[in-house]
Amino acid sequence: MTPLLDVSGLTRHFGGLVAVNDVALEIAPGSVHGLIGPNGAGKTTMLNMVSGHLSSSSGWIRFERELITKTPVDVRARLGIRRTFQNLKLFREMTVLENIMVGMHGQTQCEIWHALLRTPRQKAEEAAIAEQARKALDFVGLLHLAEMPAGSLPYGSQRLVEIARAIVASPKLLLLDEPAAGLNGAESKKMVGLIRAIRDSGVTILLVEHHMDVVMPACDTITVLNYGKRLANGTPAQIREHPEVIKAYLGGGVKRRPKADQPKAAEAAHAAS
Amino acid sequence: MTHSNIARIVVLVLLIAAPLVQPNAYWVHVFSLALIGVILAFSQQLLVGMAGIVSLGQGAFYGIGAYTAASLSIAYKLPFLLAILIGGLLAGASSLLLVPIVRLKGSSLAVATLGFAIIVHLVMMNEDWLTGGSIGLMDIPHPTLFGLPVGGETAFYYVCLAVAALVFLTFDRIAHSRFGRALTAMSQDEEAARASGVAISLYKSKCFLIAAIASGIAGGLYAYHSQYLNPNDFSFQKSIDILMMVIIGGIGSLPGAALGAAIVVLVPEVLRSSGEFRLILFGVMVIVLAGTGNRGLAGVITDLVKYAIARWWHKPAPTTAAARVS
Repeated sequence: MTPLLDVSGLTRHFGGLVAVNDVALEIAPGSVHGLIGPNGAGKTTMLNMVSGHLSSSSGWIRFERELITKTPVDVRARLGIRRTFQNLKLFREMTVLENIMVGMHGQTQCEIWHALLRTPRQKAEEAAIAEQARKALDFVGLLHLAEMPAGSLPYGSQRLVEIARAIVASPKLLLLDEPAAGLNGAESKKMVGLIRAIRDSGVTILLVEHHMDVVMPACDTITVLNYGKRLANGTPAQIREHPEVIKAYLGGGVKRRPKADQPKAAEAAHAAS
Repeated sequence: MTHSNIARIVVLVLLIAAPLVQPNAYWVHVFSLALIGVILAFSQQLLVGMAGIVSLGQGAFYGIGAYTAASLSIAYKLPFLLAILIGGLLAGASSLLLVPIVRLKGSSLAVATLGFAIIVHLVMMNEDWLTGGSIGLMDIPHPTLFGLPVGGETAFYYVCLAVAALVFLTFDRIAHSRFGRALTAMSQDEEAARASGVAISLYKSKCFLIAAIASGIAGGLYAYHSQYLNPNDFSFQKSIDILMMVIIGGIGSLPGAALGAAIVVLVPEVLRSSGEFRLILFGVMVIVLAGTGNRGLAGVITDLVKYAIARWWHKPAPTTAAARVS
């Protein structure tokens, strides 16, 4: 099957530092692909290059076979690549519903003069996107908060609003940047369910995440980065057993632990780092 | 009918009645100036209140509109309405010069617009063949509208009122549209707006364009109103005054901008005898109102009204989303 997203030789320098070094990535349509690695491995840099927020130093990115390496962020968004942010980026003073309606911006056309004349088309469009925004809110389970100012919501709910804003326009590829950061155990579990549900609705997902209890159950395939390089690629089961990955998470020289402990060990290593 | 519609009609009736209550020609003249200021404040509000762009160049667009309308009227005897319309459009076209700099953010963009204002002022001062230089433009004909003379103070006041009302209606509809929503989103988080598909630079440019057209139309009105243009009417200080209107009135609210414009234009007239006292007064107001979280007098008044309602009717004050363009 042709990959939905096909990245090759992607490299990004920050001055002398090579944050991402010659990384290849293929994401099959309809899958959840995890991007993991120790702190500073280049996961978020990678995600930012795919969304277009960062330009790449070299390499190329193909989306649905089209080269998008130089395409601006807003154009990529309209092509169907949407994202959430590691540090929440909501429109804090707008209501939750308005936040999500902004997510429909690229899918709507009515220019200013439609609004000035209040044309039937403008009214119909506004009603349609409000309806779709409500559906997306319902999907993440926050319909009852639609009229609240987004900034007044608790942290966990704000994360869900961001996800609703990203999925409202039915994107082809959803980039989730640490969606479980700051969530407690129960909330993380719900997040796994939500990620699977979004996938089942036909959205391909690239997931950057630290929490192994989210990554392992949520992902179909996983790529591991270390020091900006691709270390391993495979299914969660393969990654769990991969000697290089274990070494990267635990540091060199540590003996392999019994199998059952490995995910926990990886987490512990992360917590310590 | 909603509360805001009732409030709008009350304000409109009061404004229509103003020249009847105070028919003194001098005061009606000043009232017209205040309405022109209101249009300018609306244009600034679109930029700073909705899109989060601080413009220090609205005075320049105002001047371009004024000089264009005046020149067309003097040299080509163009009719009033056409002259101010072309003035507005030319001011809008000149805003396209800002397209290369809209990528700048925050204070850098503000400084760039300031540079634009200074350049335009220098052109007005020095290009005698075009603008009459430091002497300015004189003998601007009296305006007529569909054959009717509207040069009288009261008639011209109503012309200004009609234009201001039209600009209000236009901007109010813009605020409640897809475009306005994108601007508000952009002002609150540019990265997130971009990730939602908003072409930031294009929207900033459009915002400057619309604001410049409104400022230019205000300039055309001013040209016919004063019948004499001097470059110092459009100095950098004018841009500051326009920004001050919005800060005093309240960032984010169109009625607030109108209130701020009325204060900035009318208070110096009331305090005419006390000289430059107005500068101290406005300075203090800006500082004090900055402490209200940029909501200005409009915000203070809204809070007071809510408090009064809660106090006298023993009803809890409604909690609403933070003040935005209403």
